[in-house]
Amino acid sequence: MKSPPFEYKRAEGAEEAAALLNELGSDARILAGGQSLLPLMNLRLASPAFLVDISRAGDLKFLHIDNGSSGASPLHVGAAATQRDVEMSAHTLRVAPILAEAIANAGQVPVRHRGTVVGSIAHADPSAEVPAAFLAQGGSVIAQSLGGRRVIPSEDFFDGVFSTVLEEVELVASVRVDEWPEGSGHGFRELSVTAESWPVAIAAALIHITDGEVDRASVVLGGVGSTPLWRPEAEAILMGSDAGAEAIEAAAEAAAAGLEPPSDTFGSGAYRKKMARVLTRRALADAAERAGAAERAGGKQ
Amino acid sequence: MNTSSHEISLTVNGRAVEATVESRLSLADFLRRELGLVGTHLGCEQGACGACTVLVDGRSVRSCIMLAVQADECELRTVESLAPGLAMHPLQDAFHKHQALQCGFCTPGMLLRCLELIEENPDITDEEAREGISSNSCRCTGYQYIVDAVVEAAEQMRQ
Amino acid sequence: MPTVREHPETLNWVGKSIRRIEDPKFLRGRGNYIDDYSVPNMLEVAIVRSTEPHARIVSIDTSAAEALPGVAAVVTGAAAAEVTDPMPDFGPSPDKHVWRCLAVDKVRYVGEGVAAVAAESRAIAEDAADLVHVEYEPLPPVVDWHDALAEGAPLIHEALGSNVPFHRSFVFGDVEDDYAEADVVVSDVLYWGRSGGQPLETVGAVADYDLGSGMMTIHVNSLTFTSFLFMLAGTLKVPSNKLDMHPHPAGGSFGAKFWEVKTAAIAGMMSKVTGRPVKFMQDRLDNIANGDHHGSDRRYEVSLAALRDGTMLSMKVKVVDNYGAYIQFGVGHHGNSLAQAVGPYRMRSIAYDVTAVLTNKCQQGAYRGFGSEVGNWVLERMVDLMATELDMDPVEIRRKNFIQPDQFPYFIPTGNCYDSGNYEGVLDKTLELADYHGWRRRQAEMRAEGRLVGIGICTCQERSVFSATEFWFWFDQPVGVTSSPESVTLDIDAMGAVTATLYSNASWGNSPETMVAQFAGEELGVDPSEVNVVYAGSNQGLPATGPGGSRFTIMVSGAVEGAANRIKAKAAKIAAHLLEANEDDLEWIDGGFAVRGSPDRRKDLGEIALQAHLFKHSLPDEIDSGLEASFVHDHPYTTLPNADRTDLGVFYPFVGHASHVAVVEVDPDTGKVEFLDYTAVHDCGTCVNPRSVGGQVIGGTVQGLGSTLFEEFVYDGDGVLKTPSFAEYLLPSALDSPALKVGHQETPSPYTPYGIKGGGEAGRMMAPSAICAAIDDAVGIRVRRLPATPERVLDMIEAAED
Repeated sequence: MKSPPFEYKRAEGAEEAAALLNELGSDARILAGGQSLLPLMNLRLASPAFLVDISRAGDLKFLHIDNGSSGASPLHVGAAATQRDVEMSAHTLRVAPILAEAIANAGQVPVRHRGTVVGSIAHADPSAEVPAAFLAQGGSVIAQSLGGRRVIPSEDFFDGVFSTVLEEVELVASVRVDEWPEGSGHGFRELSVTAESWPVAIAAALIHITDGEVDRASVVLGGVGSTPLWRPEAEAILMGSDAGAEAIEAAAEAAAAGLEPPSDTFGSGAYRKKMARVLTRRALADAAERAGAAERAGGKQ
Repeated sequence: MNTSSHEISLTVNGRAVEATVESRLSLADFLRRELGLVGTHLGCEQGACGACTVLVDGRSVRSCIMLAVQADECELRTVESLAPGLAMHPLQDAFHKHQALQCGFCTPGMLLRCLELIEENPDITDEEAREGISSNSCRCTGYQYIVDAVVEAAEQMRQ
Repeated sequence: MPTVREHPETLNWVGKSIRRIEDPKFLRGRGNYIDDYSVPNMLEVAIVRSTEPHARIVSIDTSAAEALPGVAAVVTGAAAAEVTDPMPDFGPSPDKHVWRCLAVDKVRYVGEGVAAVAAESRAIAEDAADLVHVEYEPLPPVVDWHDALAEGAPLIHEALGSNVPFHRSFVFGDVEDDYAEADVVVSDVLYWGRSGGQPLETVGAVADYDLGSGMMTIHVNSLTFTSFLFMLAGTLKVPSNKLDMHPHPAGGSFGAKFWEVKTAAIAGMMSKVTGRPVKFMQDRLDNIANGDHHGSDRRYEVSLAALRDGTMLSMKVKVVDNYGAYIQFGVGHHGNSLAQAVGPYRMRSIAYDVTAVLTNKCQQGAYRGFGSEVGNWVLERMVDLMATELDMDPVEIRRKNFIQPDQFPYFIPTGNCYDSGNYEGVLDKTLELADYHGWRRRQAEMRAEGRLVGIGICTCQERSVFSATEFWFWFDQPVGVTSSPESVTLDIDAMGAVTATLYSNASWGNSPETMVAQFAGEELGVDPSEVNVVYAGSNQGLPATGPGGSRFTIMVSGAVEGAANRIKAKAAKIAAHLLEANEDDLEWIDGGFAVRGSPDRRKDLGEIALQAHLFKHSLPDEIDSGLEASFVHDHPYTTLPNADRTDLGVFYPFVGHASHVAVVEVDPDTGKVEFLDYTAVHDCGTCVNPRSVGGQVIGGTVQGLGSTLFEEFVYDGDGVLKTPSFAEYLLPSALDSPALKVGHQETPSPYTPYGIKGGGEAGRMMAPSAICAAIDDAVGIRVRRLPATPERVLDMIEAAED
């Protein structure tokens, strides 16, 4: 299991990487942590002619909280920030704890030492943890090309199995993860056959409660479609509810309704569909508890 | 087919190394084939089993899914660094005492991962050790004696 | 019957958990595994594997691969068949299902090798393998056992005329009479899925064919079965005395490196073709798809007959085993089942009907238990079913049927002998260590909270030390060998230091060097940590069989004992001369000879060795220089099958026992099984190194857990292997593995040195039974198919609700 030959290029910055992509065309792939791409190459399931390594690009190795003009302060993750660094960061725990929880479930620690958050999002595996959490919390993808940068809303980014709206000459320079207001809570649940195996299904959820009533909700499923799936039907049921058991059950049912998940050796499509409902219920229960606790804590202040 | 070579300089087990490597050469194959450090083992070459775990800049990494060229300017530790002399490292000694190995194939990667765990958490408990080593497969021991060894080694290393 | 031994009451080294002799090199990363071994001018091999489950090979175009710089040779299956004979095959009628190192004419499973490439590096070899173009004419695949048996099914091997290489019905005892007498008969259909050892290190070989001398030297981490290496010489078309195999430690085996012969055959073949040394190191894809070591893949129709009071009388077993494309070990796996067919129970008779079928899967090999673990699981499933039927406690039905300590040696209906046992002792110890009754109370409380908590218990045998007769009782005529020897040479140098030479490829995660050192320590009065253990090449070798069937520790203990006795006999002569005493007046005490009654008049082994090496002419004429001896230890207790095979003879007579208690909780919504507690008590006779035995028990239990809950080589209906890598074939991680409470009971064997029984397959032979019983108990419906994946368990829960 040795990779096919390729030519390695190291980019010192985002613009240099974009220039290389522009020059090398469709035979080039971005290498960040390489924790998804290099196994595929060792298995000879991918054979790019060029790898453009951005893992040392100085302007992509960052993790901070932006001071948003509108008062919101999104978490901003550069393409060279490793999953482990993002997972352990106080910034992440403050703005996007769901992302930290997703990363903790994604691959083993030594893999997270190299793997990047942005790389996982750009790889767009429909069963992966990080894209599901990112889509659930919401945010944007900043795509870099030779011509400059564009911003893609998270809900528009994924368009198929291992596929995104990114152009061939673009790379993801960073992602912004939106901050949710105080009184929010998250839940992240996944089921896998063993502790370290790829998930069968994932549910990522956030809700915000004001005066005992849900006024914002987000439910995303992983592993049950060709992309991480945003479930607005479930959200609609939650809105205005007390996030109690009944509402959660109805939302979980709605989240799983109409799914036609793929089958593999970890579970059939029918099993995945059942698990989507179970995991949504559990993730929402976690989210409701945390949101309720947050709201109560806020009320006391 | 395109291929290219790259000059790299790095530190391996405290020694400066300069080498010219092919783009596709994995860090594991670089260590094994170019430097003769065959203590780093290959079990799956897809990052699943952890037999190839080494420390890169102090952090555990799967060397089968990292390129040698990516190790440029890095500081590497492999199992060969643990006990350069006659005396074994306290962690190796604890593995020996508790029989935390059978065939020995996962052992080098496991040792380096355990060293990282103890350095991060000198008061490591059984449960924390078990969770920490879940990153690395061992097909022989069922893990229990490894947990025993890690907890005892941490105690020894605190003293 | 073999001689009943009197075991010494006090032992100095046997029974102590000393540190393992083999560990320092592994801990330092200096294991000298096969992939660590390279020689100058060496080529590396990659295999072109079939992408088709069943197809004719129309053509193979190797030109692009051959043109790639760095490629030395590309050899197709047809070309390989010109320089090699078929692979060694222990199965029935090997000429009707011919197995070759690379496929010729047609491929029979996804992953089968069709060509081999030798190049300057493995990476280049893989590049070239990608350039080999194979044109296939697809044939309809046969995957399921049922389809293989269907009228007009496509044939895996046309020469066989069917897909059934073997079928036989055995009847041991008066089965029909016992069924007529029974009050209750329970029956079931059970499936055991295909899992495998999957050691972290794959199989590799470095072959070097010397055109000048005709010597074929192969370094290898497989082929423990060194007595049969002449068969590999035959495949490679070299004289048997020109094949020299050098063992390297195996990075795990669990049976998978017992006799993985294809890797060495391909390396040897490629060295012959290229005239250069060649390394072939399987990668994980080769190992999973084409490693010839998948485990049992069985469907059982089984019934159990008992009296109303729970006395079990008889069992009828009808088993179909899906062997895959070839059948290298015949149905030896079922011989293993028959060695302990009635478990620890006093059953009077058993009918056993076995059908082997061939399909488009990789062939089976050996996996920890060699098929007997499946027999254990089926028996224990049926005992639990009978307990339910009779509304008996699962513990009590077992206790009621145990063979009693005063009944040994006990001959089971198939003819095999159980040497000794105290099954109630193990059971009681297990219940106590597990806090079984406490858990029953806690279970009631947890159930009251709506939790699905289950407790499962099993009581299982572990047969050990196979005799080769198990490989020939399938045939009407005796066709083969009757022993499975193990040899050792002990050499005491002039300084009194001990070197032990082993003759098999003995190191695969067991503790062969530690065992030998402890035995040498015991016999010669030396410190085991000072014994040097080395391995001979096969060309200088004595007969040896190596580990497998939990045999090595016992067999090598007898070899060490025999060699030490020869050394002591010579040493006694020298000591008598030096002490001017009569040899008959000497006794062996504390590592030397002393005159009986005058302990000060003594010579230590070291002093004697010095004399033996350097002062020949000061010694009596008949004593020649040196102090070394070899001993070939043959199987201590084998009897031959009878002519009509209603009695298979004694072939696996040292029989250990174990009881496991698993406590699990099942997630009612997902079907996922979590362990709350796990206890294992084993009796493998005298423990040589209790910590090592414990390690085998824990590791084997976790492997059993894997086979029970998720490990499986999955082929879809079209014959596509869906689990080609470790991303899909799942190994248990630390978080999937329970912390075990381990206990030992020691009921010595009367027939082996020190009373040792084998323990190497422990755990995996018990865990599936205990875990399944616990799942049953948790969800109220029976596990019938392994692995019991979360989805399958959830299906069970939903079926129970309906």
